Amino acid sequence: MSLALIVLLPFLGAVLPALMIHSGRAACALSAAWVTALAFGLLLTHVPTVMSGQVVQVGWEWLPALGLHVNFFLDGLGLLFAGLILGIGLLIIIYARYYLAEKDPMGNFYTYLLLFQGAMVGIVLSDNVLLLLIFWELTSLTSFLLIGYWRHLPEGRQGARMALVVTGSGGLALIAGMLILGHIVGSYDLTVILQHGEEIRESPLYVPALLLILVGCFTKSAQFPFHFWLPHAMAAPTPVSAYLHSATMVKAGVFLMARLWPVLSGPEIWFYLVATTGLVTMVVGAWIALFKDDLKGLLAFSTVSHLGMMTMLLGLATPMAAVAAVFHIINHATFKAALFLSAGIIDHETGTRDLKKLGGLLMLMPITATLVMIAAASMAGIPFLNGFLSKEMMLEEISHTAWAGQGWILPALATVGALFSVAYSFRYIVHGFFGPQRDDYPKHPHDPPAGLWLPPALLVVLVVLIGLFPETFAGDLVRRTTSAVIQGPVPEFHLALWHGLTPALFMSIVAVGGGLLALWRYPMVRNWWQAGPHPEAKAMFDAVIAGAVRLCQTTVLALHNGSLQRYLAFMIGAAVVLGFSGFLGASHAPGQRELLPAVPVAGVLWVILLAACGLIVAFQRQRLFAVVLVGVIGLIVSIAFVYFSAPDLAMTQISVEVVTTILILLALYFLPGETPRESSALRRGRDAVLAGLAGIGIGGLAWAVMTRDFSSLSSYYIENSHHLGGGDNVVNVILVDFRGFDTFGEIIVLGIAGLAIYALLKGMMEGEIHEKLGSWPLEMRKSADRHPMLMVIMARVMLPLVLIVGVYIFLRGHNSPGGGFIAGLVVAIGLVMQYMASGFAWAAQRMTIQYHALIGGGVLIAATTGIGAMIMGYPFLTSTYDYFNLPVVGKFELASALGFDVGVFLTVVGGVMLALAYLSDLGRWASRSPINEQPMDALPTRDEPSRRDD
Amino acid sequence: MEFLVASTIGVITAAGIYLVLRARTFPVVLGLTLLTYAINLFLFITGRLAVGQPPVLQDGVTAYTDPLPQALVLTAIVISFGMTAVIVVMALRAYIESENDHVDLIDGDNDRGDSRT
Amino acid sequence: MNHWIILPILLPAMVAPLIALTVRHDIVLCRVFSVASTVLLLVLGGVLMGTTAVEPVQTYNLGNWLAPFGIVLVLDRLSALLLLLTAVLGLAVVLYAINGWDRAGRHFHPLFQLQLMGINGAFLTGDLFNLFVFFEVLLIASYGLMVHAGGPARMRAGVQYVAINLVGSSVFLVAVGLIYSVTGTLNMAHLAVEVGRVSAADRALLETGGLLLLLVFAVKAALVPLHFWLPGTYANAPAPVAALFAIMTKVGAYAIIRVFTLIFGAGAAASAGLAGPWLLPLALVTLVGGMAGVLASRRLGQMVGFAVIGSMGTLLVSVALFTPQAISAALYYLVHSTLAAGALFLIVDLVRERRPDLGDRLTTAPQFAQCGFISALFLLGSMAMTGLPPLSGFVGKLLVLDGARESAHAAWIWGGILGASLLAIIGFARAGTTLFWKSASVEGTLQPMGQPAPALPFVSVGTLLGGMVLLTVFAGPIMLYLDSVAQQLFTPQQYIDTVMTPNTVQPAGAH
Repeated sequence: MSLALIVLLPFLGAVLPALMIHSGRAACALSAAWVTALAFGLLLTHVPTVMSGQVVQVGWEWLPALGLHVNFFLDGLGLLFAGLILGIGLLIIIYARYYLAEKDPMGNFYTYLLLFQGAMVGIVLSDNVLLLLIFWELTSLTSFLLIGYWRHLPEGRQGARMALVVTGSGGLALIAGMLILGHIVGSYDLTVILQHGEEIRESPLYVPALLLILVGCFTKSAQFPFHFWLPHAMAAPTPVSAYLHSATMVKAGVFLMARLWPVLSGPEIWFYLVATTGLVTMVVGAWIALFKDDLKGLLAFSTVSHLGMMTMLLGLATPMAAVAAVFHIINHATFKAALFLSAGIIDHETGTRDLKKLGGLLMLMPITATLVMIAAASMAGIPFLNGFLSKEMMLEEISHTAWAGQGWILPALATVGALFSVAYSFRYIVHGFFGPQRDDYPKHPHDPPAGLWLPPALLVVLVVLIGLFPETFAGDLVRRTTSAVIQGPVPEFHLALWHGLTPALFMSIVAVGGGLLALWRYPMVRNWWQAGPHPEAKAMFDAVIAGAVRLCQTTVLALHNGSLQRYLAFMIGAAVVLGFSGFLGASHAPGQRELLPAVPVAGVLWVILLAACGLIVAFQRQRLFAVVLVGVIGLIVSIAFVYFSAPDLAMTQISVEVVTTILILLALYFLPGETPRESSALRRGRDAVLAGLAGIGIGGLAWAVMTRDFSSLSSYYIENSHHLGGGDNVVNVILVDFRGFDTFGEIIVLGIAGLAIYALLKGMMEGEIHEKLGSWPLEMRKSADRHPMLMVIMARVMLPLVLIVGVYIFLRGHNSPGGGFIAGLVVAIGLVMQYMASGFAWAAQRMTIQYHALIGGGVLIAATTGIGAMIMGYPFLTSTYDYFNLPVVGKFELASALGFDVGVFLTVVGGVMLALAYLSDLGRWASRSPINEQPMDALPTRDEPSRRDD
Repeated sequence: MEFLVASTIGVITAAGIYLVLRARTFPVVLGLTLLTYAINLFLFITGRLAVGQPPVLQDGVTAYTDPLPQALVLTAIVISFGMTAVIVVMALRAYIESENDHVDLIDGDNDRGDSRT
Repeated sequence: MNHWIILPILLPAMVAPLIALTVRHDIVLCRVFSVASTVLLLVLGGVLMGTTAVEPVQTYNLGNWLAPFGIVLVLDRLSALLLLLTAVLGLAVVLYAINGWDRAGRHFHPLFQLQLMGINGAFLTGDLFNLFVFFEVLLIASYGLMVHAGGPARMRAGVQYVAINLVGSSVFLVAVGLIYSVTGTLNMAHLAVEVGRVSAADRALLETGGLLLLLVFAVKAALVPLHFWLPGTYANAPAPVAALFAIMTKVGAYAIIRVFTLIFGAGAAASAGLAGPWLLPLALVTLVGGMAGVLASRRLGQMVGFAVIGSMGTLLVSVALFTPQAISAALYYLVHSTLAAGALFLIVDLVRERRPDLGDRLTTAPQFAQCGFISALFLLGSMAMTGLPPLSGFVGKLLVLDGARESAHAAWIWGGILGASLLAIIGFARAGTTLFWKSASVEGTLQPMGQPAPALPFVSVGTLLGGMVLLTVFAGPIMLYLDSVAQQLFTPQQYIDTVMTPNTVQPAGAH
């Protein structure tokens, strides 16, 4: 339990600093320190258990379906890393309190830091690789926030992004690798995976898994060639660099390699990949570090180099090498953190980190100087300091390892690496502190307050103690940790200063001698370096990213150029492809149904229709003409409906067409009368081909359908329409009863259309659009007599007739062609005629009905009839009926479905009128014609001119 | 007869699609109207062709054409009417607001798309 | 006969006309009605989901007609899940909208309610043609909402959106017609039976119909190359509408899952597994293309739009495998990506209205009001969308990857998903650092247009983010439910039997 708490505490505590900042920087720092100390304390309580060789485990189920459990375990390796993370974390927190400036938002800083800390602890304690992945990605994310902490600095932002991209992509590779491991083993629990080393190494998936996991580790631990992000992460505040790039994050990769060492190491590919990469990184890093003038840059590359050394040791895959690796992890953490912190001090106190601007600080900053000299000497691997011991062990191991059968390669290169590391370590000391004092330091240097130098001092003390009494201070920890790494018996070893005259000793001597020589002849060496090539990783990285962005923009954005023509072409093309391949991809046989004989009339109509289609394609740019042609086609279609026994359809088609045409004409009143010719011949050709293919396709399908027999549900409707549906017009019964719910949806659609159109048009009757309309250039010629008397009279006389017809159609609908929808349209047309004849205003004054009310009421009535049934305990829209007698109409039956049909009727009238009425009003406004109080312009009894309203 | 109907459907569809692919809103609207005619016809013929068999029950008559597709087409006609009405008005307003009835988004359209009014 | 089932459709269908009819002039009452109805929908969703635990499949025979002759609503675990999801998103959106967007045009609330009605109907109906009708309902409502508040760009984008969907509807009708012409039925359960019996001579027509259906649903689900409508529409739609549209793409995904597990599932004999071969490659292209768009985008809204396309790719990749495990993973990702997209679109709007004249253009500018807080929200949203832990995006990604393990194309799928998330990470990092960090290096601050927004918008964004937190924390139990959903989808017999066994109130209606 307390184990999970160690991970949880930093996350929970992360809110504290953000809150505490209001009560001062000290409180803020304290809260963070307190949280970390608590976690550290909890960790210490487990030390005895772990040191006695037991493994502390705790776990809960989270997502069993995936095998993702919240399992934690603590063994030597976990203990070591958790200790480093929390211990050094504590020092960093104290240090940062004094390091950060007044203006820096300290609350954010500590919040991010604690989040990062929690993620790190999570990585090293997870007993489930998926859980580990979560923490792994979290470190990438939180380090992104920490590195970019100084948002105003471009280097900060770029460094942060680079770190995120590199480690993030590594993390993605790691996900794949871990999933493969889990796939092989059948469990994502680390402890289980560690049991199945054999199985994994023999699996055919071993190599891909290994590669993916190594990419994850190498990116995180800045191994060549992924090392370039680390130096740029130095734009972060020094405490961050000290924490992330010495003790913790960059060690995560090393940690994971150590963690999976028992299952992954062994095969040659492991040796050649890991050891080689490590060695190359070690040498390259050290070489570059030698020429960095920025202290943090120097330390960054030295970190790269030392991480390379650890990686190489793990790559050797021998128990003793593992021991060396573990020991060096400890030592490096101590001296490197100390060095970063003191670099921070120098920066803080002198105002620069540039070795060229420094020197002669020995007397000015004695404390800092002492700390740096000890730590740097340890980094160089000088005796009596811990760095020396682990370096010796490394050289010892290397000295009897052959690479591709060559015994000399590794020792030689390792010595070179060590040589450089001696050189840059001493360069740090000499160029930083010795030489003459100068008078051009940006700030006057002096030793910092204790809060800044104590943390590094503590670490330096460790450096010395471990260096002098390694067995006492590190022996057991190293043994315990190593046994956790190799999951087996630890070889006998004794941490000591003196191992006799071993080859390692001579290699060290060469390294130290050579290093000092190189420093003595530094200008010369630097010239060699100057001569050599300096690939600028950041430039390349930026170029790659910029290139990717440009590529995406030139492809994706260029493709989405906002052209509806292109979009529709793609869509129709897809339909054609899918349609044809669907048809050709399956079995088909021509149908057997006997065909109807073609009657001459049909032939004639067919010819007319084809002609109309041809004309419309040819002359579509003459808009009015095109509308007429569409009308012709619609007319022929409705004739077809009549002929093929679908009277309802014919009526509907006709009435809809009338209304649609009126609507389109009203719109055309504003729109230009001609479509400009703009699409190229090529474009027209493409469209013709698409259209042709689609036409052939659907025509063929229609043919295939019509020429084969089938059985459908329809017999049921025909049999039951009368005695169950109470109607003889089966289509209407289906509409209002059997499938009344479709119709319900249908009137909802109409209602919405009404509302949407109202919203659109109303929006045009105000604001600048309205003004714009007021002066709209209209192409159509106005007729002198807007409201011809004859038409007015006709319309007026017609209205009652139309209404009666409407009612009639409505009532008979259930038994013979007709029904609410058609009736609605007929009535609407009748009303529209009033508008057309006598003008909007005149009609509007007399049109007391609210169209909104019609729509809303219609839908409500329809719904209520349906709900009525629910109250009776029947499902929605259940209908009942009875017969009545009326003069004229004759015997007709009243089905409750009729109430539903009333709803349809009202909605239709409302929807149509709403659209047409408002549109015509717009037209009147745009045509700047007067509101006419009188039904007709030329009323015999009247001669005063009609008033203009604008 | 079947051939006449099938070819009719094909031709209207072709004409409709050709118009739909034009560059101005008006032909696009007409194209969509044509397309709906063709599609309604297609949906209708899935009940197969029958002459003189309207699905209105009369005593003594036994042969009726399939009423279901007719009901579906009726619904479809109504719905497509609503849709046409909306797109007509929308196209109209788009034209009047941007004084251009081209169907493609012009550059910078996205720059003006985020205002509340 | 459990009347609860129809309420998710009936309630908004009644509230909308009431608003339009009675209170349309009183914005406050409009809001009260609209929010109340949405809250009720949320409750309903919970209740219905609860009942599916007891009774996995429930039917509602409209008009008291027997299936397959009348229209049947079917409530199963999948539809219950999506009803609840819709209500959650709807509530967040309406809470955001009543902060002012709803006054920017007319009839926002009626249209909004009817939009919800259409979506709920599509999830509930068990009839293919009725599905078409509800598609039309939700579409026409979305047309109205899309151009809410007007503006030239929005209008032109709206016309495109409508035109494309009208063509889609036509294809839908052709597909329904074809399927009817060889099976003679429209009821999905009945189709599931009949499709297996279709003669070899008619297979071609049947499968053409099936693939055309896939096309229609793919348009809604923004599958490449049918996705073109999405970026323009989402970038120009009013923010709350764009957020609501996050569920619209899922309607397409739902329809694909439903139709191709039930009708063209294992029972479809020769026509089984019709969709997979087309869906998988296209979904991969969608995934990578979408995230590439994220990297390419020049505006925040545009970027989120492309991210939605990418997430649909991920979702459809998992769907395309048509295995129970992959489908349940897909469903988890579906819920997650809906919440994530919704949240991000609202966050984009928070940025927009604080950067007058700049809007959401990804350019450096002085800091704006509440920059820090909004950047935190944006960070969370991006983490979710790009699949970084700890939010549900990461879990969802793991589930999808894990579900594809056994597939023959695992390498492609893994490569695609992981590569795409890298693109997304880079894209979102660039956008975020430009908008929120670079601005720190510029002097001064921008004055938000209008009065600075009160707490409400943050509440609604918080709701969605909170939803994702719950989705992550309770991933275990949720996956148990989703597994049961997937099981139900792959053993459709129960669904078929429940629909086909008479479930009418006796005596058969008042007839």
